[in-house]
Amino acid sequence: MGGLIMIEREFEITIHPTGQVEVHVAGVKGKSCLEVIQFFEKIIGRVEDRQLTHEYYEPDENVRFRLEQRR
Amino acid sequence: MSVVCVIAPVVVAAWPAFSSAAIAAAGSLGYQVASETSRLALEARQPATPSEVRLEVPGSEIVTTQLQRDQRLAVTRDGVTITFSRDARGQASLCVRGEGLSEETLRALGLEMSQAVLQQYAYQRIMDEMRQRGLQVVEEEQLEDRSIHLRVRQWEG
Repeated sequence: MGGLIMIEREFEITIHPTGQVEVHVAGVKGKSCLEVIQFFEKIIGRVEDRQLTHEYYEPDENVRFRLEQRR
Repeated sequence: MSVVCVIAPVVVAAWPAFSSAAIAAAGSLGYQVASETSRLALEARQPATPSEVRLEVPGSEIVTTQLQRDQRLAVTRDGVTITFSRDARGQASLCVRGEGLSEETLRALGLEMSQAVLQQYAYQRIMDEMRQRGLQVVEEEQLEDRSIHLRVRQWEG
């Protein structure tokens, strides 16, 4: 029996009636969250505004885990 | 939460993807599809009359082939007809017609539709990409102000 550690990331996306898309990235610290923003920028359009919260300046770290068992 | 960003959609699509977003947008605003045609329409190239207004879908580009160049889509609601087409520069445009309505009203209806197309295009792009990448949409709701809210979860192992 082996263990598999899964890392969870969560995105909150609001698509406004004007077409603007607001993305909140949760569960990702450090610069890796910018990669997520770049991913959304690539599929949707161009970033108009970006606000970094204090967590951005914290070291990269996985904040939530789920442990699954594989038989 | 680490980052909050606002992204303005840029519509770069072939006609089928654009018309799919336009039909969804029309449906969300209570319009019905009147016709979709690839015939060349001379009226679309003539100057707008007082009872019609033309607008562009900002930041749009309809990628097309020579055969698809003149495709158009018309939707109607309460005597107002909005026709989507691709202009000579490749940008998506829409023409709003409604007898007895002021230019200001027609322009407002066109702007509402143009924004709804951007919203639906962004929604379809996000959902397609989520599906392709195996990301899980765990929550989806339409808010009172017509915003679409999604919560997406990604597991990496």
